[in-house]
Amino acid sequence: MSVKISVQNLTLMYSDGVESLHDVSIDIIANAVNVLFGPSGGGKSTLLRALNRLNDLADVETARGQVILNGQNILDPATDVIELRRKVGMVFSRPAPLPLSVYENVIYGLRLMGERSKTVLDERVEHSLRQAVLWDEVYDRLNDPGTSLSGGQQQRLCIARVLALEPEVIMLDEPTSALDPVSTAKIEGMLNELKERLTIILVPHNVQQAARTADYAGFFLQGRLVEYAPEKGLFLKPREKETQDYVTGRFG
Amino acid sequence: MRIAAARRWLVGLLLLLTACSATPGDSTSPSASTYIQNKGSDTIVNLALAWAEAYQKVKPEVRISVTGGGSGTGLTALISGTVDIANASRKIKTEEIKAAEANGIEPVEHVIARDAIAVIVNPQNPIGELSLEQISRIYRGEVTNWSELGGEDRPIVRLSRETNSGTHVYFLEEVIRLGDKDNKEIFSADTLLLPSSEGIISEVSENPNAIGYDGLGYVTDHVKMVAVARTADQPYVLPSVESVNSGQYPISRDLYMYARGDAPQIVLDYLAWILSPAAQQIVTDLGFVPILSTTAGK
Amino acid sequence: METAKSERWITWIVKISGYSSILFVSLILFFLVREGLPALGDVPLKDLFGVRWYPIEGYFGIWPLIFGSVLVTVGALLIGIPFGIGTAVYLSELAPAWIKNVLKPIIEILAGLPSVVLGFLGIQLAAPFFRQFLNLPTGLTAFTGAVLLGFIAIPTIVSISEDALNTVPSGYRQGALALGANHWQTIWGVTVPAARSGLLTAVMLGVGRAIGETMAVMMVTGNAPVLPRSLNALFLPARTMTATIASEMGEVATGSEHYHVLFFIGMVLFGISLAVNLTASSLALRSRKRAERLLS
Repeated sequence: MSVKISVQNLTLMYSDGVESLHDVSIDIIANAVNVLFGPSGGGKSTLLRALNRLNDLADVETARGQVILNGQNILDPATDVIELRRKVGMVFSRPAPLPLSVYENVIYGLRLMGERSKTVLDERVEHSLRQAVLWDEVYDRLNDPGTSLSGGQQQRLCIARVLALEPEVIMLDEPTSALDPVSTAKIEGMLNELKERLTIILVPHNVQQAARTADYAGFFLQGRLVEYAPEKGLFLKPREKETQDYVTGRFG
Repeated sequence: MRIAAARRWLVGLLLLLTACSATPGDSTSPSASTYIQNKGSDTIVNLALAWAEAYQKVKPEVRISVTGGGSGTGLTALISGTVDIANASRKIKTEEIKAAEANGIEPVEHVIARDAIAVIVNPQNPIGELSLEQISRIYRGEVTNWSELGGEDRPIVRLSRETNSGTHVYFLEEVIRLGDKDNKEIFSADTLLLPSSEGIISEVSENPNAIGYDGLGYVTDHVKMVAVARTADQPYVLPSVESVNSGQYPISRDLYMYARGDAPQIVLDYLAWILSPAAQQIVTDLGFVPILSTTAGK
Repeated sequence: METAKSERWITWIVKISGYSSILFVSLILFFLVREGLPALGDVPLKDLFGVRWYPIEGYFGIWPLIFGSVLVTVGALLIGIPFGIGTAVYLSELAPAWIKNVLKPIIEILAGLPSVVLGFLGIQLAAPFFRQFLNLPTGLTAFTGAVLLGFIAIPTIVSISEDALNTVPSGYRQGALALGANHWQTIWGVTVPAARSGLLTAVMLGVGRAIGETMAVMMVTGNAPVLPRSLNALFLPARTMTATIASEMGEVATGSEHYHVLFFIGMVLFGISLAVNLTASSLALRSRKRAERLLS
């Protein structure tokens, strides 16, 4: 068990001075599904956006702390953000394929990297779509608009376009909140296979999903990390009362 | 502009005619009525209407009806005795005088205003004199550079009023065609047709390539008026109230009213009032050249 | 019972207003054709599509007017579209909040500026500037008209384009950024294409505003009915159809040859704007159909 990303004493603040994350320290374990859960407004999404520096565009500032990936603090202003985002891919809660064809959606990131070779692109499209368990459904309609797919397919397309960049980490922010149970099951199954090759950070959209998928889990409440543990420990025998109340459904 | 006024006026005429027919006797013998019937030139109709309106304030009991239709129409009506005053932008012809005398009417000419058209260039333009022939050649598109006229090497930009302007038509007939009725020359196609006199002044004052023409009333200090000669061997004259009144400035014309020699007193009063400073102020206001009361009426 | 009755009334009122607008348009069309069509009988077709327009001497060639209008309108689009969309992109994607708060109201005020005022500025400032800057014989050219029309169209284009860009789901932007796109790649590769049907609407409304504009054009294009011979004609005076109708209709004798020809020009203008509108709405329809398919 090796640590992929180490978040150390991270405090994030909105520009009006309100804290969004308070002194959070958490180790993201490599080749595992790391689940961050808790009621909404707890700071999970903000943490994810800190890990690929999407917060740069929002009015969120780092007040304290650092985030170490491959031995470097990615919050350092000198970090190549574009490079970082290719390494740490992200999938959002609402599937939003770009207004392009299925094929172009998958290779969008590669094209930005300057990849031109048709063979490489073709190969990568098929590989990524297979990994995202979508290939069998769309191989004959690669030129259709990405937005013409069903919601579940769109979300897997969004996963495929992240996988096409061969990231080291993939973060998913409530990826199944807008999907039906069948699509949800497909994505959860896929994550289980993907963790062989990369590190997964998942913000699930409910406690059940957290329990189903987590190898490690952190419980967030009002900007603080309340408790962090391997899956079984946290869901069966929470140390903190707040965690127990949330897991057993007393609030949330 | 003037034609528009004529049409606007026609509506007014209809109203007056209704009023007229409601009072028996008026139309049969105009000389005995408090009505003055005034008809003729479309060029003058605007001015005549303005006078008629102003005269209402001077003598409310006198009512004046003004109609357009052209100088010929007005004179014919005077000859046949159906109007008191004929408006004309040209002199009465000999045949018309004879016809009138045959009817026992002696037409008397009254010069009521003058119409001068100034040819203008940019103050920077060294050209200060042009003959009518040269102006005609410029506007026909035969001369396209000021250097051909001894000026700077600059393209000539021709400015004109829109075709609906009476000034445009006058300029076409008297300058471009040099008064020759058989001449069918027209403005060069690339002549800029500007919607207003002010537009012409504005462009000429700003553009050293431009030449334009405008009623004397519109000319400002920001443009230079060109002295114009009838032919190259005659004197070059700048337009002014004096040179127009003396007949030296070639692009000008008298505007007339004709009345019968034995016209009733109210008509004579009206014609006398037209030469008064107040009435001549209206002439200036409408962009015509006023006449001095001392030189008028001869 | 009462509700049903009043609902029927409301339905009727709405129906009548709907039908009446159709009726009005048909009446306008009918009148236009009735007054314009006799021109074909008055003037031989060869003369009507001749190259010289000088109505008081019986020259009724409308080609210079058609080309004048096309020249000025296309020029206006070439200026208005890039500037309008560029400004909208800046406002929606790049500008700091305070600049946006200042600029947006200014642009909206600009949209309400009477065109005569713009025409006046055109005569006093734009025309002299272009004459000197481009070394032209006169600044009263098709180009000056095009710039002015572009400026008249820009506020409309900016306003509607900006709304269209704002409605692009933020997921598109974030998705692209998360895939390693930089700001510009996101804007040109994702946001602008995603908003294209809204942008098209913005452009069409801007064009509509520009084509219908007469006064400003009449003041600055010089109104010389010259048939363009080359692209250079953009920098020479031109006479548009709208300016011709506006300046001549008021003075022309009802029922005369000239009168019928002016209405005929109106028909041509109507035909052209109809064609432009049909093209635009079919384009917009096509992209809307796609959008509907996507949403289902």
